[in-house]
Amino acid sequence: MKRAQTKLPGAVVVGLMLAIVLDTFIQIAWKLAVSHVPGDASLAATARGAFSSPLFYAAMLAFGAQLYNWLRVLARADLSFAQPFTALSYISVLAISSHSLHENISASKMFGVVLIFLGVFFISRTPFYTANASGRDQANPNLLRS
Amino acid sequence: MSPELTGIFALVAAVTVESFAQMFLKIGAAGGPGILLVPYRRCVGRFSFSSIAASWVILGVIAYGLEILLYTFALHLLDVSVAFPLGSLCFVGVAMLSKMILGETVGLIRWLGVGCILVGTVFVAM
Repeated sequence: MKRAQTKLPGAVVVGLMLAIVLDTFIQIAWKLAVSHVPGDASLAATARGAFSSPLFYAAMLAFGAQLYNWLRVLARADLSFAQPFTALSYISVLAISSHSLHENISASKMFGVVLIFLGVFFISRTPFYTANASGRDQANPNLLRS
Repeated sequence: MSPELTGIFALVAAVTVESFAQMFLKIGAAGGPGILLVPYRRCVGRFSFSSIAASWVILGVIAYGLEILLYTFALHLLDVSVAFPLGSLCFVGVAMLSKMILGETVGLIRWLGVGCILVGTVFVAM
């Protein structure tokens, strides 16, 4: 027997927001770290180019923080609830890229953005946590929840 | 096999691996395999490492490393406008694994949300 929880705790909201911010930073830092590498470079040359950039190490640090933050989110929310929220980083990356390149966002991209927002809105309306009434949580106390 | 087809196979493999990576991280975050539905809990119980939450996190991180390699390989062979929406299939993979293996409640509204995100990424990649 399962029961669903609907009231979203502040820690989950903050964790999801932080996940989107960190994901956006990682994607942009990663892209900038390899931006000086020619497009037709080999995989090894791309890796060498990335290793020589401080932004690569900043991205790795953010990746570590993201892992810690994500584990804390997953300790409190369903995976199928939390993970789709990360799609919002597609929008933030698109917005930052368009702003920095002074490009207008096309109508089709805007439609995609609206659909992603709509999808995340639908998911946010669903229960965030499925607890097992048979004592799943009691049997396996969550080490990261304290 | 054409480069495009190889790329699509690599991308499907990347999506599958990423979905499992997320599930491993969820098991680790929840403190161990107690979160799994009974048949799967019994199955993984045969492995001594399975009761240690940290081992699931490590498994998740290793799977993520593999996913990055597969995705990078796929990007070498496919156009971003194809790779990006296909990569978002991991939302579907995660929802399926969450429902079938973790026993999470994934109802119609949640599927509708996943569907909207999937179609949205197709338009964003255009």
